[in-house]
Amino acid sequence: MANYGMAFDYKLCINCHACEVACKEENGIDLGAKNHRLWIQEDALVKGDFWDLDRSEISFMQMQCQECQDAPCLKACPNGAIYVDENGIVRLHQDKCDLTRACMEACPYDARYVDEKNHVTDKCIFCADTRLARGETTTACQITCPAKLRYFGDLDDENSEISKVLKEREHFTLKPEAGTKPKLFYLK
Amino acid sequence: MKKIEVSRRKFLQGSVSLCVYASSAMAMPLATTKTSKKNAEDVPYLCNMCRNKCAGFARVEENIITKLNPNHYFPKSRNMLCPKGNAAIQAVYDKDRLKYPLIRMGKRGDGRYRRVTWDEAYEYIKDKLVKIIDEEKDNRSTVAYCNGEGFNKDEYIKFFGSKLGSANFLDEGSICLNTKLGATQLTIGDVGEMDVAGSDYMIISGANRYESLITPDSVDMLHAKQKLVVLDPRCTMTAIKADEYLPVNPGTDLAFCLSMIYIAIKDELYDKAYVKTYFKDFDKLKKHILSKKYTAKWAESKTHIPAERIKRITKEFFAASHPLYYLGRRSVWSQNDFQFRRAMVLINALAGSINRKGGIIFGKPFHLHEEEINEPLYSNTVDRFDLDGIVYGSQKGGSWLNFREKIVTNTSPYPVKAMFIRKHNLMQNMPNIEKTKKMLNMMDLVVVLDTMPSDTAVMADVILPECTFLEREDMVVSFNRLEPSLALRNQAIKPMYESKSMQDILKGLGKKLSVPLFKVSAKHDADLQESIKNYGKEKAFTEGGYNMTELYKYDITTRNKKLITAQFGKKVYDSLKKRGVWHPYIDTQKEIFNNYYEYYPKEKRHYTVERNYKVHCYLKKLEKHGFDPIPAWNDHYDFKVPKEAFRVITGRYVTTTQSATANNEMLKDFQEENYLWINNDVADSLGIKLGDSVAVMSSVSSIVIKAYPTNKIAPQVLWLSHGFGIHAREMTHAFGKGASDNMILEDKFEKIYGCATMHETNVTIRKL
Amino acid sequence: MKIGPLNIPLKEDFSLKSILGFEKTPLNMLIAVATLAMLAMFVIGVANYLVHGHEAYGVTRQHPWGLLIAVYIFFVVSSTGFCIVGSLGDVFGFKDFTMISKRAIFGSIVTILAGFAVIAFEIGHPVRMMIYNVISPGLTSAIWWMGTLYGLYLTFMIIEFYFLLNNDMKKAKIFGLTGLLVGLAAHSNLGGVFGFLNARTISNGVYYPTYFILTAFITGIYLSFIVMGFRYKLNFSDEKVKKLLEGLAKIQGLLISILIFFMTWKLLTDVYGGMPTRADVAHHMLHTGAFWTEVICAMLIPLAVILKDFGKSPVLMFWASLIGMVGIFFMRYNLVHDTQVKPLQMMKITEYQLPPEWIEYFPSATEIMIALGGLGLCILLYYVGTRAFNLDEEEGH
Repeated sequence: MANYGMAFDYKLCINCHACEVACKEENGIDLGAKNHRLWIQEDALVKGDFWDLDRSEISFMQMQCQECQDAPCLKACPNGAIYVDENGIVRLHQDKCDLTRACMEACPYDARYVDEKNHVTDKCIFCADTRLARGETTTACQITCPAKLRYFGDLDDENSEISKVLKEREHFTLKPEAGTKPKLFYLK
Repeated sequence: MKKIEVSRRKFLQGSVSLCVYASSAMAMPLATTKTSKKNAEDVPYLCNMCRNKCAGFARVEENIITKLNPNHYFPKSRNMLCPKGNAAIQAVYDKDRLKYPLIRMGKRGDGRYRRVTWDEAYEYIKDKLVKIIDEEKDNRSTVAYCNGEGFNKDEYIKFFGSKLGSANFLDEGSICLNTKLGATQLTIGDVGEMDVAGSDYMIISGANRYESLITPDSVDMLHAKQKLVVLDPRCTMTAIKADEYLPVNPGTDLAFCLSMIYIAIKDELYDKAYVKTYFKDFDKLKKHILSKKYTAKWAESKTHIPAERIKRITKEFFAASHPLYYLGRRSVWSQNDFQFRRAMVLINALAGSINRKGGIIFGKPFHLHEEEINEPLYSNTVDRFDLDGIVYGSQKGGSWLNFREKIVTNTSPYPVKAMFIRKHNLMQNMPNIEKTKKMLNMMDLVVVLDTMPSDTAVMADVILPECTFLEREDMVVSFNRLEPSLALRNQAIKPMYESKSMQDILKGLGKKLSVPLFKVSAKHDADLQESIKNYGKEKAFTEGGYNMTELYKYDITTRNKKLITAQFGKKVYDSLKKRGVWHPYIDTQKEIFNNYYEYYPKEKRHYTVERNYKVHCYLKKLEKHGFDPIPAWNDHYDFKVPKEAFRVITGRYVTTTQSATANNEMLKDFQEENYLWINNDVADSLGIKLGDSVAVMSSVSSIVIKAYPTNKIAPQVLWLSHGFGIHAREMTHAFGKGASDNMILEDKFEKIYGCATMHETNVTIRKL
Repeated sequence: MKIGPLNIPLKEDFSLKSILGFEKTPLNMLIAVATLAMLAMFVIGVANYLVHGHEAYGVTRQHPWGLLIAVYIFFVVSSTGFCIVGSLGDVFGFKDFTMISKRAIFGSIVTILAGFAVIAFEIGHPVRMMIYNVISPGLTSAIWWMGTLYGLYLTFMIIEFYFLLNNDMKKAKIFGLTGLLVGLAAHSNLGGVFGFLNARTISNGVYYPTYFILTAFITGIYLSFIVMGFRYKLNFSDEKVKKLLEGLAKIQGLLISILIFFMTWKLLTDVYGGMPTRADVAHHMLHTGAFWTEVICAMLIPLAVILKDFGKSPVLMFWASLIGMVGIFFMRYNLVHDTQVKPLQMMKITEYQLPPEWIEYFPSATEIMIALGGLGLCILLYYVGTRAFNLDEEEGH
């Protein structure tokens, strides 16, 4: 029983893709560039002329399922296949997924994709059926990250590292206007 | 609960084109494996996806590696694995791997081989070698051997250098970082180690630490409270992340360094007490630099960095409490490379940043005992020739380009007729691939030990499949100086197919070769004949050290156990087997934040050690050979590119290790092919758009590559990543993807260390 | 024909022979061959899908819904349209329109079956969908309501059609009204599928649920002209038919005008409302050929024909209706595509790409074959229906 969330010290990211590879290896994600639970996007670009470049706006953002507390995917699923598990993670009953892809259509974060191996839609679930199921306390992306910028833990536990870091530092969520109340936080 | 999904591609491994007459039905695990099984075995290992070694744990289930995780005990790798480290599973289960010993049937390079037994392969090598060495009257140096992998190199040298007796060993140093190692060694008497974490002001020239990850440097840079200044002719990830980025003309970093030295001396910014104690010939340096007037204004004209910035950064650097001019590598760039690396060392020394926190430290590495062996003396063996005409050069790894040049022009003092190549992709790793091909074609025997059917492997007469690093145990290694540790690569799974570890390969080869080669020596070597006369054949053989398998009397596990327990005790050995690592504070190391650890307590780190050393400003030997004894600028160092031409420079992606990862099915998803970076304004004027094919032509050859117009590169400069444009069809994922830099790079080398200068080729381009 | 207690009055001469016994005019032969070709494509397309899965389609992570969803919508809107038109007479008692009721109700059954046939190969697991639709309903999901209500609707339509065949107008009326209401509910939920999308502001809101009902009515009238055109071989000399078609044309004129009014305001608020990800998408739409095909074919041409003489040219209206249906197809395709055309992630995720501006999608051959197959199926079923049942109003009622 926990309420898992993740916080990113995103400015540390050097876009090395270690997280993505670790995720694919850990969770048996199909190879192929289009199949990924998480990815890094380049926000803004380096601007200006080469001899006078403006690098102030560029940053690399960790993108994946935002673990919405008010999840549009869950509401859009016609079969009730999407649920919130005991750890506050938005999960999928694989046997109920009919691949209408209403969840993909509903997600404001592009977090879902079609898992061609299992014929269901798939997304980041914080390694719930792999690492967490084995009793580990870290996610694959978090533990491998060279920058150690991914904080993962129980938001309801005041003493967890993520709770502390969220208390200490300012942070924001993605697309707050969508009203989805994500549990992924970006540290300023 | 046990659940292993096995569905994606349980491909049966069949015959590959490389191996026409071979087939097997050994099942391969799928590409990625998901598992919720608890209590899987976690085998500690050391990564080998690049030269930099990180530690990890391999999760092994039913002799299948299902996941690699970082090892938090290893001070060097700071509990991380990079994308390549994570994708090492794909290197093990690459369907294109070399699986069986092979003997060439067709022409060199056409990939037609027949599968043979190990014994047949050894027999074939023996027959050829006996003939070759006999022809050369026991001049063992006719057998050249080379190695591109960091691990087991010394053992490999012991076999071919000490036991077989060849003087011609070549490694990647002369196409990599020998100038840097040499410059540091010659200036402060040691290659040292840089304390990135302890530095509060760091300048990096060219080295791309955020795309060419080196532990712990890359990680420490992320967390250190320091100002980072980056000079680079391309806006790399390191440049993007820097506090200050100085775009610079290629190959002119030396001018920046000289100007820093000039300003530091002229304005007396340097650490006077340090200079007084440690500098040798400081007066000569001072006189030289001041008389040359390396002002900021002068440097601006060479580097394109505004004078005011040079002045300000110099002042900031010397005012910082722990400044560090990072001694980077990224190959050797130009003729002034050695002087440039030396100038960086001198700047650190002027700031007093030697043997102290945040500087170049000497530290206290663990010195492992050597396993002693008996080395035969071959009186007919002639010394190496690749350092002729080179001032210093590495006595160990030599000079590839000089070696190759002498072979292909038939100017070597004796013919080199055989070559043993281990994990060294000669056909991709040095400029002018055609010349390498010519060299290999001149050999009577080429033997390749590798895991992949690389461009070089398909040039071999005999291919000996080595297992990957996850399938073997290696000898214990000592790492680092500031926070020294020992690390052991344990065997995660048994070697697949018929591949073997290097030790087992050499053992088999040694068994086959020892006696026949001894007989050749006995025929030609007067000293040996004398010895046989005096002591008898048997004694002359054993006591003379002619048994090539001497080192392999015990298996590697036993050797490790004996060596480690003898020197460090059983506790250390147990730690190395269980955790893969040992350091004195392993039981008390503590997590500082989010899985990031403090290993040595601060007060126990070897920032400063007692050592007698001098900073050598003046190198007489250089003067004797007509080179600058103190770093200086020469007019031909100026960055000049003819109109309508470009200077081509190289580097690599964060997801690739030169050509070694080219066929990795996971990593290719990130970078399937390389692109040619071209300045966006220039591209606009030439009508070149993203993805357009362009031909790039040099005096050597030409390539076709897709264009990437970007503002992140200077107008007269082109960049492409090394490691693409693989020619071997047997590398099915890599073949035909992108283009190879070494097709077009001119094979120039500098004469102080004999290193290939990679950034001196001008090219023209044409949109196709 | 009697099945248990049910009495299904088939035409007396209904047989395979009667099905094949159509007049062998060049036009009829062309339609027959085209229909068979489309059915063959359906088989090929489905086979390809069964082998390769969604890989055979042009849909992607960023554009998960493609042509087949558009075609499904096209068919179910057609069905609702037929239902509305059919209800005019037998539910609401507009005498002029009773003569088309049976034909229209049959049309609504045929079109929704074609829609289901297409969607079955778009949804990854149609069987799972039917099972879990019942045992674990997603009550917050517009798709669940749409699917469930369409299922009910189909049932009511079949029952209504049964009573119409048996001339039990009272019961037909009860089931017709229920069916119509359920159909409208289902149909507005289909609009809700898009209206609920909070991630896609271009579609979010009340517009699509209401607009769907309006366009369904319009579609129904176009289809009525088409089926009546075939029924009377464009010879509308019968006064009753003339009157029916003139009435329908006048209603159509009004509906198209309302639609144009709606659309104008939708676009005006989209473009000048300046809401990010809505204004730019609307702008983008205005620059696509598909949008103008929709406007010209589905609205302007038919409206011009109607306004020419207030709906007194039924033959011209037949042709305008064919054009109108092409426009309606584009309307559905545009709805699906434009909803997804704006990338949710506007940033580069690899070095060698330009930041994504618009999501590209083009249907694959497999998708096109299955879509055309749906049309072929629809034509075949309708034709067989005309041979099996008397779809005309029975004399004396």
